[in-house]
Amino acid sequence: MSKLVIDQVGKSFPARHGGQATRALLPTSLSVADNDFITILGPSGCGKSTLLRMVGGLETPTEGRILLDGEPVSGPGADRGFVFQSYTLFPWLTVAQNIAFGLREKGVAEGERLRIAADWAGRIGLRGFENHYPKQLSGGMQQRTAIARALANDPKILLLDEPFGALDNQTRALMQEMLLGIWERERKTVLFVTHDVEEAIFMASRVVVISARPGRIKADIPVDLPHPRPYTIKTTPDFVALKERLVEEIRAEVMASAA
Amino acid sequence: MKLLQPVSAPSRIGLGLAFFALFVALWSVATFGGFVQKLFLADPLTMLGEGYNLLVRYGFSFDIAMTIWRVVGGFILAVIVALPLGILMGAYKPIEAFFEPFVSFARYLPASAFIPLLILWAGIGEAQKLLVIFIGSVFQLILMIAVAVGSIRRDLVDAAYTLGAGDRSVVMRVLLPNAAPEIAEILRMVLGWAWTYVIVAELIGSSSGIGHMITDSQALLNTGQIIFGIIVIGLIGLISDFLFKAVNQRLFPWAAK
Repeated sequence: MSKLVIDQVGKSFPARHGGQATRALLPTSLSVADNDFITILGPSGCGKSTLLRMVGGLETPTEGRILLDGEPVSGPGADRGFVFQSYTLFPWLTVAQNIAFGLREKGVAEGERLRIAADWAGRIGLRGFENHYPKQLSGGMQQRTAIARALANDPKILLLDEPFGALDNQTRALMQEMLLGIWERERKTVLFVTHDVEEAIFMASRVVVISARPGRIKADIPVDLPHPRPYTIKTTPDFVALKERLVEEIRAEVMASAA
Repeated sequence: MKLLQPVSAPSRIGLGLAFFALFVALWSVATFGGFVQKLFLADPLTMLGEGYNLLVRYGFSFDIAMTIWRVVGGFILAVIVALPLGILMGAYKPIEAFFEPFVSFARYLPASAFIPLLILWAGIGEAQKLLVIFIGSVFQLILMIAVAVGSIRRDLVDAAYTLGAGDRSVVMRVLLPNAAPEIAEILRMVLGWAWTYVIVAELIGSSSGIGHMITDSQALLNTGQIIFGIIVIGLIGLISDFLFKAVNQRLFPWAAK
């Protein structure tokens, strides 16, 4: 049974100053199986973030419906963890307090909150940084904390909107390995939006390619690479073949949107 | 001197004191040198002597205490009203749309112009003094607090919602802590303005306070006392400013640059 069902979901932004309404996403359908890791790949401005934000409840679909475990999504909630591209740690809270933010909303007792926060700080390699403020952390450390903050809530699904987009290449590669490692151990359902082909293949069990605006699903490609995946897998023939195919798909879309 | 280059702490203090010294030096030249008549401007030494007289013989410390209590009292009343209203206005745009135009209008009404009216309504007692401070600071506080609360990054609010926070939680756990350092800074600034209103309030219809002492001294042509009174106000302002800054830095270590 599908964990998440996106059923003919589309989005238009209303017209401004008498202009035409903007079509961000054509009616789109997608089913996500439990514990699947799906990356949504597309050129900038194709509506992939809009789709993710609608699943997160941060935007309302113009048409269609979204079901999580059979329940319709209406507004944001703790059952869908969200990691943003921008740095969204609360600057007035320490790493541990940030990780425990959602737990406090749920009414978890303080001792238990501290235990879970310390546990997650360890899992993302930030043991010893529990009492640091976000401004004392590097960009990569901040995004790791943001992932831990979302996962500490134990959501049904984890939604990530280009979370490593602002990081340098080396840090980005390490973050991908860390996230994949967490997924291999925890088996969460993950929806990951990116415009980076290599990133999309490396972590995914399925890559969904979105076309240039107005967005629609152009291809849905399974990634049958074995787990665990070391970073060296990026140079294997299977990986390279998949990459070539996806680069071709994306290239056509970028050219279409530039034309 | 290089453009925008910061100075070290010792040289900053040194430079700051240097201007005070220069100021007193110019004042001394003007008065001791006989360029200005004693009747119009007392020299620094006479001023200090008069200050000593005021404090020791005329119980000036009681006036100082009265003035401080009026400023602090009126200011606290204004904060009690402005804080919840400002927060609500910052968080909920229809509430802001309801109050903002009136408050913007009211903040340009000069508090000192209300004094005759307030004397009519509240007499010349303490209530009138507190009301002057209240009117002078409450509208400024409301508007500035509303802006501070409303200027939150949208993605921080979104993040809180996706972590399961409700509206009330977002206000208490996101909007408020986010705005807290700026609100503290606003309080510091507006308290400074409140000091100017209290003296005006005390100049008219008062029997105690620094402002009252200044009007009394004017009748006696005692410029030394007047200048001493003004300097005391300046010193108290400087001290309260310094305390506020120290407390703010301590309360909000995450916001320090």
